[in-house]
Amino acid sequence: MSGMDIEAIEIQVDSEIQNISSSQNLEEFRLKYLGRKGIIAQLTSAISGLPAQERATFGQQVNGLKNKILSLVDEKQKFITAGSIQPAVTLCDISMPGIAQELGHLHPVTQVMEEICAIFMQMGFSVVEGPEIETEYNNFTGLNIPLEHPSRDVFDTFYLKGKERLLLRSHTSPVQIRVMKSRKPPLAVVVPGRVYRPDAVDASHSFMFHQIEGFMVDENIRFSDLKGALKVFAKAVFGKDIKMRFRPHFFPFTEPSAEVDISCIICKGKGCSVCTKKGWLEILGSGMIHPNVFKHVGYDPKKYTGFAFGMGIERIAMLKYGIDDIRLFFENDLRFLRQF
Amino acid sequence: MKVTYNWLKDFVEIKISPQALADRLTMVGLEVTSLEENAGDFIFEIEVTSNRPDCLSVMGIARESAAILGHRLKVIGHRLDKKYLSPIIYHLLPIAIKIEDKKDCPLYTAKIIKDVKVGPSPDWLKKRLELIGCRSVNNIVDISNYILFTWGEPLHAFDLDKLNGNAIFVRRAKPGEKITTIDAEQRVLNPDILVIADEEKPVAVAGVMGSKDTEVTEATKNILLEAAAFNPIVVRRGRRNLGIQSESSYRFERGVNLEIVDNASWQAAELIQESAGGSCVFVKSSGLAKTKKKSINLAIPMVNRILGINIQAPKIKKVLSSLEFKTKIKTKNHFAVEIPAHRPDVTSQIDLIEEIARIYGYENVPQTLPSVEPQVSVGEARDLVSLIKNILVGLGLNEVITYSLIDKDLLRHFATQEVDEAIEILNPLSREQETLRPRLIPSLAACVAYNLNQKEDHINIFEVSKVFSQSKASTHEELRLGIALCGIKSLLLQQGLIKDPVGLLHLKGISEVLFVRLGIRDYAFKVEDNGSIISVYAAGEKIGLMAKLEKSVLDRLDIKNKDVFVLEFSLGRLLFCTNLNKKFSHLPVYPGISRDISLILKGEVLVGDILEAIKGEGNPLLKEARVADYYKGKQIPPGFKGLTISCLYRSDERTLMETEINPAHSLICHLLAERFGAQIR
Repeated sequence: MSGMDIEAIEIQVDSEIQNISSSQNLEEFRLKYLGRKGIIAQLTSAISGLPAQERATFGQQVNGLKNKILSLVDEKQKFITAGSIQPAVTLCDISMPGIAQELGHLHPVTQVMEEICAIFMQMGFSVVEGPEIETEYNNFTGLNIPLEHPSRDVFDTFYLKGKERLLLRSHTSPVQIRVMKSRKPPLAVVVPGRVYRPDAVDASHSFMFHQIEGFMVDENIRFSDLKGALKVFAKAVFGKDIKMRFRPHFFPFTEPSAEVDISCIICKGKGCSVCTKKGWLEILGSGMIHPNVFKHVGYDPKKYTGFAFGMGIERIAMLKYGIDDIRLFFENDLRFLRQF
Repeated sequence: MKVTYNWLKDFVEIKISPQALADRLTMVGLEVTSLEENAGDFIFEIEVTSNRPDCLSVMGIARESAAILGHRLKVIGHRLDKKYLSPIIYHLLPIAIKIEDKKDCPLYTAKIIKDVKVGPSPDWLKKRLELIGCRSVNNIVDISNYILFTWGEPLHAFDLDKLNGNAIFVRRAKPGEKITTIDAEQRVLNPDILVIADEEKPVAVAGVMGSKDTEVTEATKNILLEAAAFNPIVVRRGRRNLGIQSESSYRFERGVNLEIVDNASWQAAELIQESAGGSCVFVKSSGLAKTKKKSINLAIPMVNRILGINIQAPKIKKVLSSLEFKTKIKTKNHFAVEIPAHRPDVTSQIDLIEEIARIYGYENVPQTLPSVEPQVSVGEARDLVSLIKNILVGLGLNEVITYSLIDKDLLRHFATQEVDEAIEILNPLSREQETLRPRLIPSLAACVAYNLNQKEDHINIFEVSKVFSQSKASTHEELRLGIALCGIKSLLLQQGLIKDPVGLLHLKGISEVLFVRLGIRDYAFKVEDNGSIISVYAAGEKIGLMAKLEKSVLDRLDIKNKDVFVLEFSLGRLLFCTNLNKKFSHLPVYPGISRDISLILKGEVLVGDILEAIKGEGNPLLKEARVADYYKGKQIPPGFKGLTISCLYRSDERTLMETEINPAHSLICHLLAERFGAQIR
């Protein structure tokens, strides 16, 4: 070892430190020179092997180099740390708007309808659709709704001009008749679609809206199965903490019939303006398919039982998203649609 | 239906609070929609379903309450009876009841009460009626209303001295016969309507409303009190025919209990004598006041099979008897159940099962999960529609849902020929609902107009919905896709804002993405002869069109200084061509060479023809020729356009050499210059 070596090492150090830009490289550099088996350590251990007169000078040179490297590493470390705060500025102004193809929006009714269909499909139901122009038979008679009976009052209906006994379906239930007439049990079907009723339009009424109907028929389908299936549905749509209750009601095409309420999602059952202080929100109608409906489609009511349910999609969407006017769904204001 | 807590207590002992009673009633199917405290009483408003006419009375709701609470109903009798009537007077006042058809009116009773003093009702009566929202008129009218609400049997009191002759006729109206009803409306009758008439003219629309000139007034001395039962369908037809509804008709068209008629009538007579004086001097009845007792077999296993519970015979018997159904054991698992007269809605075993479930409590039925064998269905139309919607959303379009019913006049502006084929609605509520739309474009255009009014500067919407049409005997429904674009799309890119006014090429681009994603390779866009419409073809079949809306249409929709571009496809045909099967082709092994050609062309030369010509050259090494850029502007002379075509040459066997391409590429440039007069730059 000689003074020359020290000088050569110093030149090497100066050039290497220049090219270091990351903490990792700096650490490698530090270990190379200052590590336990690093170059400085090697030089130091070499001192004892030198002739006595050279030892002091060489020792001072090595020490000087060591101090220089220490300060270089320190300096570089500061530079790297300071630099890492800034790189965004040097790459781009990340506070500028991002650039991407803007996505459109599915109508909220479609989104809720798809979500509900998906829940029932996971339970093994299949989706069937039916025509919107229906016969009076499928819409009423086949569903055990007598033609001249007060039970028809809730089903005011648009009739077609010049087409005897043809109408715009007032519910999706006629598809029950169509499916049962063309297939044999076991059946598990959901039916989404548009329905029409001549109601004057206001914040909660529309002459056109969407329903989803579901029914299941087999040899041993029970009212308890209806309760179980709808519970799965309600928890999936409104959350697992939702409470549910079944109230006796009357529908001509089911018996026993039930209206289904969920605990108010706004006030959690305490009572508010949305649930008119009742703590409950009605969300759907349901029941066991009436034996007369089975007779109409040629099923043996002694052999088969089944349940059916139906709900208004807009109603569910209004509750889910907190929409307070049904007309918004059909106005199609882009500022409304973009929220979903 | 409104009832009060105290009124109910006349008939049944209630030891629970009004709120608790309301909750219990709701859970057996009599939904209490409001409960209010007023003047020391509580008013329940109850939604009574159309199958339960018996609950359109305090008595009926008391009966349900008794079943819930496990109490018996209090028996309310009447003191009056025929034996109290003077036989002499009885014979002096013969009034005959003549029922034209017993099917229209199975039972008619009349009582004559002489020398009444018409005046205000006693306070207790006024208060009860007012609490349930019924205006007090006079003692006679109030008593008949009180009996109606208590027993569910509508009564009617005539001023006896205004009736002509000695007979009451229950008959159909003659064509053109007239009556002025109590609400002072003159109504023209027809033979669909059942009336009560004296010897000269109708004095009431049976079960609906009495006539003005025979109503009970302050001057009335003698009354004829009617209590009857009418055919529900006849009452319903009559009142719909006349467009009126009353508390009476509401009950009659749901069916009243024949067995209650007599009792209700006597109760009324007794109350009248108590509060208006006078004496009941004559009673006449025509028809049968009994219904035939029905008996239904109930199989206990069926109860458990339908409900998914395990309820035993003694419990079933207890539930049914709480509702006044009498049970008789036939065999071990079968009951014969006798149906009480007030429950005409119970006609079959399933009705009994519902009664058991109601009182047993729906909340006590467990929740189970049915086992279903999943029916897997792949690639159904619905899935494809969903795919299409998601592709369009991915392209930035927003889905709208517009009404299927539209204004005929609006339609006429779009499609004159389709107006005649459009299906019309017999009973629209407004002009906007006259017609079932035969196409989507008018609705979408109206939606664009709406959003322009909201100051949107870029509107891009689509709808998937049915359209309707008719031919001679049949109606047709077809699923369509409609798209409408309007305004300027703003793209903020690195180089700054780019304003891109939307047009037909955007519609074309959207269509092409759809075609590619649906696996449709064979498609074409053809300009129709009139130049304003572009027909779109897939697999050789026309599937729809694209167009720019005409000025007359824009004027009709009040759209000013904007162009609207629309597209409408038949989804049935589109889905028919769809092929979602995918097949892998190997990636090229050797690199290709790309060569651009920059051209200046006459404005009228079609880009499609240029590309066809390049591909038509038939060079097997040319794998692709596409438009890389186009421009008009300063460097291009007027009437010309600039175009850059990018050609890709590649061999599947070796790496191509520049020198191999040069002759082929020159040939193409030469061809373009020669055939289209293109200047190659």
